[in-house]
Amino acid sequence: MKREITITKRQRLINDVRTWFSKPVNLITVFFFIILFVLIAYPLYAVLSSSVTMGQKDSMMYNSLFKQQLKKGDFSWNNFSMLLSGKYTTDYSRALFWKPLFNSIMMSAYASIISIIVGGVIAFLITRTDVRFKKFISSVFIFPYLMPSWTLALVWKNVFINSSVGNGITGWFEAVTGICVPQWFVYGMFPCAIILGIHYAPFAYILVGGVLRNMEANLEEAATILKADRLRIIRKITLPIVLPSMISTLLLVFSSSMASFSTPNFIGSPGNFFVLSTMLKSLYQSNYSGQAYVMTLVLLLFGIGFLVLNHFVVGKRKSFTTVTGKSGQVSYIRLGKLNTLISVILIILLFFFAVFPLISFAVESLCLIQGDYSRLTLRYWLSGEDIQDLSRNVGKGLLRNSRVWGALWGSLKLSIIVALIVGTCGFLIGYGVARKRGSKLADAVSYLAFFPYLIPTMAFGAIWLSVASKLPFLRGTFILLVLVASIKYLPFASRSGTSAMMQLSGEIEESALIVGAPWFVRMTKILFPIQKSSFISGYLLPFVSCMRELTLFVLLADKDSVITMLLSYYDDADISQMSNGVNLLIIIVVLTINLIVNKLTGASIDKGIGGN
Amino acid sequence: MPEVILNNITKKWGDFVAVKNLSMTIDDGAFITLLGPSGCGKTTTLRMIAGLETPSSGEIIINGIIVFSEKKGINVSAVKRDVGFIFQNYALWPHMTVYQNIAFGLETQKWEKEAIKERVDEMLALMKIEEFVDRYPSELSGGQQQRVAIARTLAPKPKVLFMDEPLSNLDAKLRGEMRTELKRLHVDTGSTFVYVTHDQLEAMTLSTKICLMNEGVVQQYDPPLKVYEQPANVFVADFVGNPAMNILSGKAIKTGKAKAEIALLNHKFEFKGVKDFELPSSDIFVGIRPEFLPVTEQGQISGTVYSALPAGMETTVKIKIADKILSSVMFGSVDYAIDSKINFDIYGNKILVFNSENGKNISLGSLRCIK
Repeated sequence: MKREITITKRQRLINDVRTWFSKPVNLITVFFFIILFVLIAYPLYAVLSSSVTMGQKDSMMYNSLFKQQLKKGDFSWNNFSMLLSGKYTTDYSRALFWKPLFNSIMMSAYASIISIIVGGVIAFLITRTDVRFKKFISSVFIFPYLMPSWTLALVWKNVFINSSVGNGITGWFEAVTGICVPQWFVYGMFPCAIILGIHYAPFAYILVGGVLRNMEANLEEAATILKADRLRIIRKITLPIVLPSMISTLLLVFSSSMASFSTPNFIGSPGNFFVLSTMLKSLYQSNYSGQAYVMTLVLLLFGIGFLVLNHFVVGKRKSFTTVTGKSGQVSYIRLGKLNTLISVILIILLFFFAVFPLISFAVESLCLIQGDYSRLTLRYWLSGEDIQDLSRNVGKGLLRNSRVWGALWGSLKLSIIVALIVGTCGFLIGYGVARKRGSKLADAVSYLAFFPYLIPTMAFGAIWLSVASKLPFLRGTFILLVLVASIKYLPFASRSGTSAMMQLSGEIEESALIVGAPWFVRMTKILFPIQKSSFISGYLLPFVSCMRELTLFVLLADKDSVITMLLSYYDDADISQMSNGVNLLIIIVVLTINLIVNKLTGASIDKGIGGN
Repeated sequence: MPEVILNNITKKWGDFVAVKNLSMTIDDGAFITLLGPSGCGKTTTLRMIAGLETPSSGEIIINGIIVFSEKKGINVSAVKRDVGFIFQNYALWPHMTVYQNIAFGLETQKWEKEAIKERVDEMLALMKIEEFVDRYPSELSGGQQQRVAIARTLAPKPKVLFMDEPLSNLDAKLRGEMRTELKRLHVDTGSTFVYVTHDQLEAMTLSTKICLMNEGVVQQYDPPLKVYEQPANVFVADFVGNPAMNILSGKAIKTGKAKAEIALLNHKFEFKGVKDFELPSSDIFVGIRPEFLPVTEQGQISGTVYSALPAGMETTVKIKIADKILSSVMFGSVDYAIDSKINFDIYGNKILVFNSENGKNISLGSLRCIK
């Protein structure tokens, strides 16, 4: 029995569309494509238009400088030509743009090299040699990444500042050894590069270590069978396989360093060492917002350039890291007599970068008088009465201070909501991208989700401030913070979600589909549990990042609304006991929650970043 | 009763046509094999019937219900098609025990707890895997995982069972055992099986009907013996049978009703078709199964031994003649010295003549050497 049914083209199109959307994966991918596109394209448009549209102040300035007749809202390339081409004077563009650009690039280059060497060497020691205290080293080594990024910079300053530099406070190093290190050692390119390098070293350790750990033992064994010695194996087999992820790390650290603000702000600017991000902020604060947006665009271009490069490098070769689960036990290189020495050096380094900051903050918060370590008190923690310090009212002790608790609660609330949103989106984006891999839509979504990573945090805040000025109902709201933080932290969650999903073959889901399990059941009973730890890390990482975020909120949040803003307030007001105490509090909260989640679920930050 | 009908199914990815205008009817209780080289569209076809892939056009009817129709805009999701699917890599869920894996489908269908337990136990017994009930997939061998996968698929009593190269990850011995089991299972369950494989021996031994595909197009859809004896074209003839059929080019002249004289390997042969046929041109291909190429001392054709492969029960001899290498199979174990002279005949009543231009089967018949 055959019945011909004539259907119109339109009917057929509707049928096709309906069929296509009946699959949740298509719906999800399209949904995220649209949402991400709007949330990224609109702010970009806002920056672009702000950089070529004259504000009230801009037009007045340019009218007097260049004898133009510009009005508010006029289109002009003035911001570009003044900053980039030296239309005003070449000195101006050199000092405000080209020199900071050069500084940014050099600082980032050194930082990425330092981080890859430190992180790579430690990754190698942990995965391929019989070095001691592995467990301790690998868990403590993550600390610098968990701490707020300015932490190490402050510690560096506390330690090395001396009577010959700045306003002549005596630091720990001078107090102990009597040596005054020169200014370039305390402020400038050198400490910035080192601190950023150390801060991102765990990142390199996790990425490279992940590849080393997942590498099939067979690959190296095959070379051993062919009588290659250990060194030759490392050179010819291990390094080339790790190379793509090393280059990728190098690029990511480079672009993160380009975008970093707090470190060069704390230990760069005082030595007249300016980079693009610090210059951006000062331009913004001195109301040259148009030029600040030009700088934002430049940073953005660098970011995009690095993404393209990274894609080019990693792209196809990613498949090197085959995870078959068959990887056997690798034979460790024996370090022999050097073992103790290397282990001790590692422990000392770790102590300085991971444990010492905590001690330093604790001690500072206990000082009765700043800089005087002989008289310690718990007053700044426990006092139930308002503390009068140098005739200022500091408020009650940290643990009994309603402002501190309020801000801490604000941060926690924000971080939990953001983590829930970002983690879930990361999981779903990973699902969509992995299931539709190879399609243009999947590529587009994965690029869009990664895009916020390229926008320097400082610029990101500024961009959304300008968005909020166009959409007043958002201005100063909690929702704005949630939105901004969610977009900013999406890249890592979507990456870890994607890589976790990529490891699951489509059949795993299809075999549940075939026995009639609806979509929601497949997600919650099959896919999520299998890669549980990776996905939970996708929730943990945004939580941690949000808890310790300052730069992003600097322009958007009220000083009592989140804990880092309060910290920044205490720091600006030079109430060092309170700022150090709050700093310690943040780190303790972050570490505790990380530890609890880790113990409960096996998930950890390193998994979220991309290691396994 | 479950009967699967495909009407003009086509699947395209961009410009690439994976399956082209496929129509076939799978009878209730049949054991159908989709056979073909890799990339021929057989897995795609299977996945389209199961609902895991959406065809670009056409119509699929399972058990009288249209589950897919491009024209009518119907696309019943795999969730509701009531089918079972065994994947090549088994796709067992690593975070669940054997019991949980098998019970999952029953739980989603909201079976009673008691009934689930009963059914799982039944499946464990059927597949002889009772002792592994609390193990995780990673603690099982390949063969055991295979059994769990089958148990998991059979548990919800699907009307149609699809299998995508389920035995290709097993070693040869285990594969042989599982083949036997599958054939029994087919009878025991009375379900319709659709089976994808690239192994022609598996297709020959298991199925009630073979659907041989190449480049997305069905070449032949017939019972195994018919596919073997009367291949529709040169591709089918070459693909089915091991060692492969000898296909030689020759010249033919029609000499009477259902009769022709064929010039082949510098000899003349008389061909008698089972029915009358037409020769579109004098250039033809002659297909001779290795068993119709007996090696005898009195053989009228001579060549040299290229290689001899005694396997115990039978021996395959590769014979070189001119620049051709022919296969001959004989019963028993005989070893021939390589490069020695050898005589053979071409003789039998299941010889095939193919059109040399489009490769189509012209006639089945008998061949006799006359000069």
